[in-house]
Amino acid sequence: MHKEETFKKIIKEHEGVIYKITRVYTNTHDDQKDLYQEIVYQLWKSFDTFRGEAKVSTWIYRIALNTALFHLKKGKKQGHKVSIENLNLKQENYDPVLEDRLQLLYAHIRTLSDLERGIILLFLEGKKYEEIALITGLSTTNIGTRMSRIKQKLKKQIIKQ
Amino acid sequence: MEIEEMQTAWSEMSMKLEKQELLTNKLIMEMTQEKYRNKISIVSKYEGIGAIICFIAAIFLITKLNELDTWYLLASGVFVVVYLITIPTIVLRSIRKMRNLNITDNNYKQTLIDYANNRKQFLFIQRIGIYLNFLLMIVALPMFVKLSSNKDMFITNTNVWYWYLPIMTLFLIFFSRWGYKSYKNITASAEKTLKELE
Repeated sequence: MHKEETFKKIIKEHEGVIYKITRVYTNTHDDQKDLYQEIVYQLWKSFDTFRGEAKVSTWIYRIALNTALFHLKKGKKQGHKVSIENLNLKQENYDPVLEDRLQLLYAHIRTLSDLERGIILLFLEGKKYEEIALITGLSTTNIGTRMSRIKQKLKKQIIKQ
Repeated sequence: MEIEEMQTAWSEMSMKLEKQELLTNKLIMEMTQEKYRNKISIVSKYEGIGAIICFIAAIFLITKLNELDTWYLLASGVFVVVYLITIPTIVLRSIRKMRNLNITDNNYKQTLIDYANNRKQFLFIQRIGIYLNFLLMIVALPMFVKLSSNKDMFITNTNVWYWYLPIMTLFLIFFSRWGYKSYKNITASAEKTLKELE
């Protein structure tokens, strides 16, 4: 299959994943669109070096999380305008009750550190500790320890509320 | 919100997202094009403008070096020219290094470590720059007096010392304190990230 066709197929299959990552790492719709473009660009840039040794999803999570982290660190706006104006990101807010719960969920995630944010996102995606370790570069044991800390942190937040 | 509740909400959202297909082939390929990316962000706009001003000033001073007729005035001029070229170049290289992290090959942990280290290095260079400004302030003065009023301040009496030194010292102290405070805060944040990864 042609390179472009394969790439488009992969992106379409994982557009929801990219959406979720962009939502966790940004606060505004414009920033989210900006990050979405950057992730797709970085995936395309590294597509030639992706030889299928790792799972496609692992590759996508790794690149997307790194890009999100870097995007976050660069700070907000730097005279940056979203070039592709018709990039309509997925909207999951059809159900107002679910949207409220999601708002709360994102608020909780955003209180965590950069590293914890990546770990919890992968955990919520249903990844096993081994795969989280592979994507983040930490050991499996370390992931377990950090997950316990994250759970404690989240519990404390509930008590505060 | 308990972790289990978070998982449920996340799964519900994921299921809803699965049902939607909004990206078109055209849009995906448009996003892969370099032309849509912001090139200004490669080098910080402010540091970039500052560097251009320094380089223009350096070129201007090079054309005036022949007017500096004593060895110490010439030394002053050469120092300023070298300073105006070297410091912005080092700062720009440092920013470039910080922004050109290998995010496609590294894992999340390595990206965090590289970023924190590069940021510390960048801020260290900025801090050195602040201190060097004090030196520049003193060394550049004879040259500026010569070029602006054609006077050698070591031979001709001039009142420049009375106003230039206090004003510049106050300005630099204020600027350095502000810079140092920012340096401390940002470095502390980078250190925290590195410590967390230990």
